[in-house]
Amino acid sequence: MASAAKRLEAVPGMPAPQIAFDGVTLVLGGKTIIENLSLGVRPGEFLCIVGASGCGKTTALRLAAGLYQPTNGKVNFDGQPMGEPRREIAIVFQDYGKALLPWRTAAGNVSLALEAGGMPSAERPARIEELLRTVGLPGHAGKYPSEMSGGMQQRLQIARCLAQEPKTLLMDEPFGALDAMTRQGLQDEVLSLVAASGATVIFVTHDLDEAIYLGDRVIGLLPHPGRIGIELSVNLPRPRDQLSTREHPEFLRLRRQLFDFIKATEQ
Amino acid sequence: MNRAALLWRVASFAVAAGFIALWQLIANLKLVSPVFLPGPDRAWASLVRGFSSGDLWSKLAGTLEHMAYGWLAASIAGIAIGAIIGSSRTMRTYVAPSLEFLRPLPVSAIIPVAIAMLGLTQAMALFVISFGAIWPIMLATIHGFGAVEPRLYEVARSLQMSRLAVIFKIALPSASPDILAGMRLSLTVALILSVVCEILAGLDGLGHWVLLSARAFRSADLFAGVILLGITGYVTSVAMSLAEHRLLAWQAAQR
Repeated sequence: MASAAKRLEAVPGMPAPQIAFDGVTLVLGGKTIIENLSLGVRPGEFLCIVGASGCGKTTALRLAAGLYQPTNGKVNFDGQPMGEPRREIAIVFQDYGKALLPWRTAAGNVSLALEAGGMPSAERPARIEELLRTVGLPGHAGKYPSEMSGGMQQRLQIARCLAQEPKTLLMDEPFGALDAMTRQGLQDEVLSLVAASGATVIFVTHDLDEAIYLGDRVIGLLPHPGRIGIELSVNLPRPRDQLSTREHPEFLRLRRQLFDFIKATEQ
Repeated sequence: MNRAALLWRVASFAVAAGFIALWQLIANLKLVSPVFLPGPDRAWASLVRGFSSGDLWSKLAGTLEHMAYGWLAASIAGIAIGAIIGSSRTMRTYVAPSLEFLRPLPVSAIIPVAIAMLGLTQAMALFVISFGAIWPIMLATIHGFGAVEPRLYEVARSLQMSRLAVIFKIALPSASPDILAGMRLSLTVALILSVVCEILAGLDGLGHWVLLSARAFRSADLFAGVILLGITGYVTSVAMSLAEHRLLAWQAAQR
């Protein structure tokens, strides 16, 4: 265990990774989903994972969350073996409708994370209000999830994840089910939230433009079994802007490269 | 309430009034001997007399007590056992066949067993009532616990919630619509079995009152008891619906 951590720290010129996959293979039901995946995510980095469906990108995220344990290899968090899921790692699921408690109001859903963190009940209301304001839901504290739009529900889920005060935020196609306008708004909000909190992010998406727009680095996975096919550093200035960033020559170059890669994997 | 709903309500009362009028007519024409069939007027008079003398109050209290104790015991045990079985797939697989054997067993068949073991006592009544009333609650709880959204368990895991917190904050509220529906069904079962036990074991209650009235050919008292039982069933079921409506307000928001 210690030797693996040492080895990963020993890479010269790089800060120690917060999340490190070391030769990870996952076999589920006799099928190899991910094979020999090695990957380090630096603290504060925004990593996007893309790939055709069935390439195991969601599975990789679940391994990073501790929801799956690798069949072979190791997943380390801050140099320690991952083990079970932990509060320092928050997960934003794609299906917000299933991940929220329908019997709790918006405030109650955020409260769930605070209760789990052991915050005294007297301190919770102020924190809940603050978090709901942060994600743009002030004045909706008393609403049930079913009374909110999809975009609002996803904001609520993000608020609950922020209530965990996570070091790492794992996002599984969080905007996949939302319309284009809502999606762009939320992309910018996530970027500013992450910049403010300094959290490390692994963001899974099938939207290549989204991956480049958000990420510091984009990894493209090859399917059957899942493994890294391409790795791109995104050297676009921050803060990013929906218009100028997307028109930047570097953005267009990366977009071309990523599209060609995905096209090749689908043949 | 809007106009249409009000109209339906009035119509339903009119139908009920029509049935009572028909009953009065049959009684007045003596189509059935008054020894067996009193008119609504005589049944009502007997009800008033019973309550003013205090007899019916104590009988009603007796039945309500049997019903409430049996139902509460069934609810507590049913939810607890159902939660244990429902939250584990292994338990569901192993225990379900035994439940399928016990469930269709008529409760009347176990009354002689209960009497043999416990005698003609309150304990026997409590056992029989709760045994009969436990099934809808327990099966609904098993179903409810088995149907909790798996995503919520993952949320709970990532929040490192304790086992107890997962049960009380995730599983139980998620299963509550099923559980409350089961408890409503059991309420009727508990009333039926309360009456049966009172009749068989001579325990103080409306069942016993009805039996004695019938034996003494006091048909007005007999009908008063039956009417009171009908009202008891109706009122408890309405109260349960109101409680359900309040507790499941979040579901109303979902529609």
